[in-house]
Amino acid sequence: MQPNLILINEFCVYHHVGVEFVQLLEQRGLIETQTIQQATYVQLEQLPQLEKFVRLHQDLAIHPDDLDVVNELLERLEHMHQQITHLQNRLVFYEPSGS
Amino acid sequence: MDFIDYYSVLGVPKTASDGDIKKAYRKLARKHHPDLNPDDGEAKKKFQQINEANEVLSDPEKRKKYDQYGKDWQHADQFEAAQRNAGQQQQSRRQYAGGDDFSGGFGGADFSDFFSSMFGQDAGTGGGRRQAKFRGQDYQAESHLNLRDAYTTHKQTMNVDGKSIRITVPAGIENGQKIKLTGYGSPGVNGGPNGDLYITFVIADDSQYKRKSNDLYVDETVDLYTALLGGEKIIETLDGKVKLTVPPETQNGTKVRLKGKGFPVYKQEGKFGDLYVQWQIKLPTNLTDEQKELIRQVAAM
Repeated sequence: MQPNLILINEFCVYHHVGVEFVQLLEQRGLIETQTIQQATYVQLEQLPQLEKFVRLHQDLAIHPDDLDVVNELLERLEHMHQQITHLQNRLVFYEPSGS
Repeated sequence: MDFIDYYSVLGVPKTASDGDIKKAYRKLARKHHPDLNPDDGEAKKKFQQINEANEVLSDPEKRKKYDQYGKDWQHADQFEAAQRNAGQQQQSRRQYAGGDDFSGGFGGADFSDFFSSMFGQDAGTGGGRRQAKFRGQDYQAESHLNLRDAYTTHKQTMNVDGKSIRITVPAGIENGQKIKLTGYGSPGVNGGPNGDLYITFVIADDSQYKRKSNDLYVDETVDLYTALLGGEKIIETLDGKVKLTVPPETQNGTKVRLKGKGFPVYKQEGKFGDLYVQWQIKLPTNLTDEQKELIRQVAAM
């Protein structure tokens, strides 16, 4: 067991996905994997992202090939959400207090 | 524990075909999926309901049982038991979810008590969709602060999953900012890591100070005579009292910048924004006849 590394085979068993699903994500540049002594791992910090792809695939039947588009749009959404929060904080400044 | 109408959750009639159910589920799942609606607790709850309804209605056996017993679900197992041979030991299928909700209000169990009671706690199949047993669940929490709390680095105790955790809130945190505490979510299973805890900080508006990024703005009153002739005024800042010189003939609305007296810059120790003081000139009231006469004389000069 490598510290901070999750064995892909183990991940796939518990999430009911094939190893090829993870390989496809790696090929699309959506996650990074590491191979040590013929075993493939994913960094612990990438695990939430990988789980998200599994959920989107299993819950919404999104094809692995399309996950990069979904991911890109979700990242944009997150960025816009941050901008909205920033602008809302600014707006409070310009609105008279108590309104 | 109330009866759940799974057909109405998916918005389909009782006569709906498997295809109709699948279509309705996909449509609603796309709309309410938690990964497509981050930071929306309602969407998460709604998705769990949709998922549960689909779990039952898309499985012929579960759907049959659900349709058969309907509102008499509480007696479903007793009916089944009566139908079988009395000698068989099958009583303990009935399970209640109570006491298994480890999420403490942050996550929530995947299936309702109604579902667990009718089908058993481990009845969720669905390819293990919501039941992945590996990394623990992430928790979402909110911390409400006032502006003065956010001004200093301080410790805060939060109750998460029944446990008390002590966190350090760095000075200068912004309203709406989110921080992640790795491993503070629910425990992992099968050797998986713990989930994470995400805390969103909500900072209430202050009645006195307005914040724009790291700068603070405050209105201070000054009497007419000090504004006209000049003088000094002691004002309160978040950093203590400061004596300000009011130059003669200060106009109403004049802004003064106090460098470094604003809000601390997040995670940059010793760095502060500026404080802008805006003078609001207060005109005197209840003037005596003598004062009025003198002002008339000044006005006529």
